[in-house]
Order: sequence, then C-alpha cells, then structure tokens
Amino acid sequence: MIGIVSYGFYVPKYRIKTDEIATVWGKNPEDVKKSLLIEEKAVAGIDEDSLTMAFESSSSALSDVQIDKNKIKVVLFGSETHPYAVNPASTILAEFLGIEKNYLAYDTEFACKAATGAIISAQALIKSGYSDYALITGSDKGMGKTHDVLEYTAASGSVSLLLGKDDLILEILDFESFSSDTPDFWRREGIRYPSHGGRFTGKPSYFYHIEESSKSLFKKTGLKPEDFAYGVFHMPNGKFPVQVAKSLGFSPAQIKDSLTVNYLGNSYTASALMGLMAVLEKAKAGDLIFLCSYGSGAGSDSFVLRVTKNLTKRKKEFIKVIKNKKYIDYPTYLKFMEMI
Amino acid sequence: MISPVKIWRRQKDIRKILGKKGKIFLWTKIFTPGTGFKKYAPYPVVLVELENNEKVYGQLVDQEQKDLKIGTKVISVLRKVRTASVDGVIAYGIKFKPLK
Amino acid sequence: MTSLIGYYTTKFGELWDKSLFDLAEEAIDGVLKATNLENKQIDAVFFGNMLAGVLGNNLHSTSKLAEILKINVPIFRTEAACASGGTAFNLAKTYLDSNSNKNVLVIGAEKMTDYSPEEVITALSAAASGEEQEAGLTFSGLYAMMANFYLEKYHYTEKNLAYVSVKNHYHGSLNDKAQFRRKITVEDVLKSAYVSYPLKVLDSSPISDGASAVVLTNNHDMIKKQKYSTAVLASEVITDTISLKSRKQIDEILATKIASDKAFKMAKIKRSDINVAELHDCFSIAEILAMEDLGFWKKGTGGQKITEESTTYGNGGNLIVNSSGGLKASGHPVGATGIKQIGEIFLQLTGQANNRQVKNAKYGLAHNVGGSGGTAVVTILSS
Repeated sequence: MIGIVSYGFYVPKYRIKTDEIATVWGKNPEDVKKSLLIEEKAVAGIDEDSLTMAFESSSSALSDVQIDKNKIKVVLFGSETHPYAVNPASTILAEFLGIEKNYLAYDTEFACKAATGAIISAQALIKSGYSDYALITGSDKGMGKTHDVLEYTAASGSVSLLLGKDDLILEILDFESFSSDTPDFWRREGIRYPSHGGRFTGKPSYFYHIEESSKSLFKKTGLKPEDFAYGVFHMPNGKFPVQVAKSLGFSPAQIKDSLTVNYLGNSYTASALMGLMAVLEKAKAGDLIFLCSYGSGAGSDSFVLRVTKNLTKRKKEFIKVIKNKKYIDYPTYLKFMEMI
Repeated sequence: MISPVKIWRRQKDIRKILGKKGKIFLWTKIFTPGTGFKKYAPYPVVLVELENNEKVYGQLVDQEQKDLKIGTKVISVLRKVRTASVDGVIAYGIKFKPLK
Repeated sequence: MTSLIGYYTTKFGELWDKSLFDLAEEAIDGVLKATNLENKQIDAVFFGNMLAGVLGNNLHSTSKLAEILKINVPIFRTEAACASGGTAFNLAKTYLDSNSNKNVLVIGAEKMTDYSPEEVITALSAAASGEEQEAGLTFSGLYAMMANFYLEKYHYTEKNLAYVSVKNHYHGSLNDKAQFRRKITVEDVLKSAYVSYPLKVLDSSPISDGASAVVLTNNHDMIKKQKYSTAVLASEVITDTISLKSRKQIDEILATKIASDKAFKMAKIKRSDINVAELHDCFSIAEILAMEDLGFWKKGTGGQKITEESTTYGNGGNLIVNSSGGLKASGHPVGATGIKQIGEIFLQLTGQANNRQVKNAKYGLAHNVGGSGGTAVVTILSS
C-alpha cells in the first residue's frame, strides 16, 4: 500500500484583508466578501518565494520521521510561480534539505494541480520499487493583477507530503485523473500576471472537470459521498468548492473544515492540499477523505485517502499556527509582491 | 549579476546552518543600503550566537520592534538574501526569525 | 631620523570639477611648492587609495602618478580600506628607515562623488567580510552594531555620541579646507535621520572628494634647509580580523590598542604628553572608542567624558582632538584621510594652524582605522 508518511505546511505570517483591497479600488467590501467568501489572504514576505516556502513545509514534513534521506529518490516541485522558467527548484530544495544526489527530480506545472498530479506519478515510482520515498511539494506565491478578482484570492502557501510504503498516516486507496484542453486561466512566458476567462472559469472549467473526475473515481471504487468523513476540493474562492461539493452530494458538514480559502486565500498548487492540512488536524483513524484538485487548462485529480492509526503520532497543529499572523496594508502588499 | 559559481559555493555552507536556534548578540537596523538590498530597506541585521557558539550574521525577518535587542531567541530560516538582477541567479541564504 | 617637511591638502568636499588624478596632481604640486622641491628630487612615492579600482575601474595608479610626475622612480599603492593613507605613510617611513638620504612623497586621494550613494555604500562595504556584505551589512551597519553594544554595556544613550559631532563641526568651522563649515547642536544630531540605528546622518562622516600630500625625508641637509619640520617619532600598523564577529571584544578596536602601545613605546613618551590628536571618527562612536583604545580615557568612560567637552578647542584642555574637524566635518575622502590627519598634526606642531592653533603643541598623534577595525595606524610626531 502506498500513501503519505508525513506532511508539513507553511503559511507566511502576513495577511491582507479583503476590506483593505476593496477600499483602494472604491468597491464595497461587503459585496466583495459576499461574492468571494474570502475574509483575508496570506501574503509571503518580500524575500520569500515558492522555493523558500517549500523548504519550510518540507523541513516540517521531514522533521517528524527518522528516515535515511538517501532513500528519498524522488523529489517533485509543483508550482505556478517557479523561481526560474528554466532551472529546477526541485534540486535547489533537495540540496538545502540534504537529500543527496542519487535521486530523480523535476519541476511540474499544471496550474493549481501541479502537485497532486505529481503525487500520482510518484506513487507509481514507489510501487515499481524505484524508490522507498517521494517528496512532493506544492508551493506558490500566487500573483494576481491589481483591480482584478484574483487580487482578492491569489495567496501564498506551501504543503509538502512525504510519500512511502510503510508507517503510513494516510493510505492512497485509489485515484483518478481527468484532463482536457480548456483555456480558462493561463499565463504566457515572460508575462507576470495570469489571465483568465472570467465566468468561463466556472461551469465548463472548474465544475466540469471536478465533477467528471470525482464521478469517475466514485464509479471505479463503488464509493459514494456519504462514505467519506471529509471532502476537500480545490478552492479558487469561497463559493466554488461549496457549490461543487453540494452538486456531487457532499453535505456542508463534510467540507466545512477544509475551507481554508476563507481565511488564507487560494495558494494555487497548495490550495486543495492546505484544505487537507486543516482536515488532518481533526481526522481520526479509519476516516475516508475525498481529495479533489483542479488545475486550469484543465484537469482534475481525485483521491480516496484513508486515515491510519499512525496519524495521531504525526498530527500537526493547524488552526493555532495559522493564528500567528500580522496584517499589512495595500502598499506593503504591493511591496511584498514586488509589484512596485 | 552575481557570479553563479559564488552562489553555488556559498550554498553548501548555508545548508549546515539552516533550522538552527540561537540568540541575538549584536544588532542594528539599516536605513541606507547598498545596491541589491534597496528593496528590503529598512531592515534589521543581527549577529546571532548559535547554540553551538558559532556566530552568524543575517537579516532579521517577521519581527516586531520589541524583538530587536540583545538576547532575543531566534531560529535560522531560508530566504532570498539580495535582489537578483532580472537575468541573474537567485541568491538564497540565511536570515533569522524570532522564536515564539 | 625621518622628518615631515611639508604638507598640502586640497579642500575636501563635492569637487565636481576635479577628477581623482586632478586632485592628486593638485596635492603634489602644492606640497612640492611648500617644500621648494622639484619633481626629480623625489626618490619614491607612496599612494593611498581605496576605491579607484572598484568605482572607477582605475588600477595601476602608480603608473598614472609616474605620468603626472614625469619621473622614473619606485611608486607603490597601499590599500587598507580607510587606513590606506596611514599605511602609505607607514611604508614611506619604513622605506626611509632602510634607504638613507632620500626624499619621499606620500599622497592620499579619493574620488567618491562621481557615483550614486548606493554604489559608494556598496563599494565601501568591500572593507567588510563577504559574510557581512551578504547579510546586507553596510559599513555604517557594522559601527552601529558596535555602538548599540557599547551604549547598552556602559549605559549611555545616543545623546552621548552626539557630542563628538558637535565638537568636530565646531572645529570644521575653523578650518578653511573642511567640507562642512557650519556648527551644529546636540539637538541637530538627534533629529537627523537614521543611517543605521543608532547612528544618524549627523553621526556619520560624509562622502567626499579630496587629496592630501606630505613630503618625508631623512636627508639632514634637506631638513636643515626647510622652514618647517617635525620628527616622525613612531608609525605603527597593526591588523586584526576583518569580521567584527571574530574580534575578541566588540567594545574596543584591538588593533588600535596594540598599535598605540607600540607607538608610545617607540616614541618614548606618555599619553599625557600628547597635545593634539587626529582620531578616526568615521562615526561618532569611533572617536569615543579611539580615545579609550589609544589610552587617553579608561574603557567605558568615553560616553561620559565626551560630554565634558575637554577635547574641544578653546576649552583649555590638555588634549585637543580633531582640530581639523575630524572625518565628520572636514570630510572623509577615504584614501586621503590618513595623510590629512598627519598633515593637521604637522600644521599644529609647526604653528601653522591659524585660528585653530593649539598653543605650545609639542607632541601630536594621528590615528587611522580601516574597516570596522581590521587595520589601525598610529603615528606620533614631535615639533
């Protein structure tokens, strides 16, 4: 059985409130909050990027297991804000972590599902016997153009998972992936900010792919939404995950703990995984968790995960840690995002 | 552009000091920086005495004003240490964060 | 016995019209005129300069000087950050200790205002270790760390430091070659903007252009012919670690202590014999540390003693410090400072210091430091 051995997350200290951004652009903050269901989002400092955050979340993931780092022969770095267009952040990360050199590394991109796609590839590498462990990171310092809806939602964060075959805290029981060519959200080479198709990002994109990926996995496994203790979906805003969960047949109670977007924003490749972090703080042995990511362009990876009794020895505090925060104003936000 | 070779050579040493705890031994706050540090200004710089008595310099980040004094407990973290040119290699290095 | 027989300095300040070598040439012409010497009577030249390579892409300055002087003699350049001038003087004296009947020209020069403040700050931080530079520490940042340590250890405040700048600005107002001629108050210093906490703009020496030159000789006939001469009793250079973190103590500059002890021993005089001193006040804290490290004041008492203003001209004190205005008010063209300091002592000991003349000045000391204390030069002259 392949699964997750340990996990780590990193959310930067700084937050900007939706109120603060809306006021700058002369919008009614209450209207924006009602439409996006985001109160505030996490912002990385000026000297942080996807790599530095990945280091934090990976160090955390590796801190509570005693393993020979040489057995980590797969290191995959998923992001849409890679430090370089050409140069692997995965090896920079591995080097700083002390993972030495007989390993396979590559950086992945599939918008917000770059990391979950990597999970699928990595578990196969473990299953085939190539490696005992794989380190997967989803890490982003999400960018959005000013005076655009993404400005309220695009956030910073990182989640790392150490995959393995022994001493698991979460078993990957099954998974599916659904892909198509759907240009709902993209960023061209050399262009700083992503662009999107407005309402096109909804029904034909987010909803279509998540629903198809999920239904496909339900069919394959014979499981139904009520079999799960928790459902975790990709969170581009506070509304979409609630709506798609409902349409698939999940109850509000099943997904409410996963909605980190309300207070952290959408950290792109770390978004769905951050929801998983929040849920793991509460999950108990035997719980089934349904995890479904979405990447624009477009595709969706869905997973059936089962919590083992080992979770209790490696469970991490989430809510308390997230509360260590400091609010910044709009000019500081622009400075941190190097937009000015 | 900073030499990529220099960055590469330096990074081996950085790894050894990551995630280490210590105390502030000396500190100041820079208001007039040189090139490569303008974007971070004003920023505090500290000399930290690690638990193994080694002394390391680094900027102090995620700090409150009250943290800037001799004796504050800190931990080393990985951050970008100077502004890279748009086409240069990124220099990652040690900075310090107050330990809560 | 080596004697200093002539001195000339350009004004220090923002000298837009003059390049580095225009300034050097002015200083050379001035000092040759003051000593009635011709180019061909110079047997060797020593040149102190820190930044020409980094900022102006000008190295091999020795050959450039040969072009200006139109002579073929040994010419050497020394670099020890802000102690470049002092070390050039030391090498000149050492040359004369081993070559008889020679006349040597020592020049210190620097051109800093052709470049942006950030470029200059970055260039100056080359005097610090690589690690210090990578941490974003500037030159002022290092002295600021020393200041915070000193103020906390001995229970002083920024106000104590301010007295240094007030004194030196007063002295600058008496020196027609100084960059800053206006007097300032303690309040002015405290209100100025921070450069690196706790050091403020008015605690810090400026960015300046300038050149200073002296002629040294061990030719007795030459000395007898000169109108003015002072004996060089001692010149000592001591180095210490480049990194502040590797020093034994943070509240002292060990290189200064050792150089000072050696110089006084060589000169066979006591601290209390010194009437005038030019100390390295790159930042206000540096002058206080210097007074303690040179042995004039007990360690830790400097913050209090400076407020008594005994080293200010006209207050009747036994020791007047930085009558030129120091680095703070007379300016700090890095390579020139070490020579200017020695030149100021020469003026005092030969009665040429005009309205800032210290009466009966018999012994004088110049103190030049490189970086945060990596090099210290102590020179003692007598009339």
